[in-house]
Amino acid sequence: MTLVDLFVAFCFVLGAVAAFFTAFHPNILYGAISLIGSLVAVAGIYGALGADFLAAAQLIIYVGGILIVILFAVMMSEDIYKRRFFEGARKYIFPAIAAGVIFAGLARITLGADWSDVTKPDFEPTARAMGWALVGPYALVFQYVVVVLLSGLIGAVIIARPAVKMKQLDEEITKSGEE
Amino acid sequence: MAGLATNLPAYLIFSLVLFSFGLVAALGRRSAIGIFMGVELMLNAAAVNFVAFQVLRKGVIANDSWLHGHIFSLFIIILAAIEAAVALAIVLRTFGSRQTIDADRADELRG
Repeated sequence: MTLVDLFVAFCFVLGAVAAFFTAFHPNILYGAISLIGSLVAVAGIYGALGADFLAAAQLIIYVGGILIVILFAVMMSEDIYKRRFFEGARKYIFPAIAAGVIFAGLARITLGADWSDVTKPDFEPTARAMGWALVGPYALVFQYVVVVLLSGLIGAVIIARPAVKMKQLDEEITKSGEE
Repeated sequence: MAGLATNLPAYLIFSLVLFSFGLVAALGRRSAIGIFMGVELMLNAAAVNFVAFQVLRKGVIANDSWLHGHIFSLFIIILAAIEAAVALAIVLRTFGSRQTIDADRADELRG
């Protein structure tokens, strides 16, 4: 068992345990914090697979960006230490059954398949090649993503405005339409 | 457990575990943020699968396409970022108008 195997095993355990707490912890704040563990574990797995660019992107965008926004939203919107969203296990029965059935079915397929043609990974650095791919064969998709990001950000800003300002905006728009 | 790092089914089972917990969180949580965290877990599971297949089954895929899986995962990460921005804007708006983010109580549109 090499060091990389040990590292991958650690990432598997960390990711699975953290995902468990994300799904089941009664306090949403601790759920959000344990989501960090899952995302860091996924970044570690990217690293172990030789996807260095993706590991960095995962850490910067997910752990550095999305999780901060999630924690911000949790703390903005909830009386986090009083309110418990986990009101009995009843609401978890159907999701647990659905997830269990999907897990059992897919695990059976995965473990029953013949994976003997798996190749050894070769660890070339991918950052340079991915940069060229994004402006070469994937340039069009990249531009689509740029447009989606821009429109999404504008939409998020408009949605997050307070209701009073929305009313003002409506009035301004009607007024400018009348003129 | 030797050779775990090059064992494709191990990665697939791990991503399946992430997906299952994400599904439980997305369906079972009552808070809108909890549902959103479940969706993030499921997206991550899919991205892990893309990279694992790309890296460990290179011989099966054509030679000129050694980065397709990586690029796909990168786009998943980017689109998850914008999804987070929009979803949390909706959450804050919902909280501003009805002082709760309980998804079961946002039921004005129920038929």
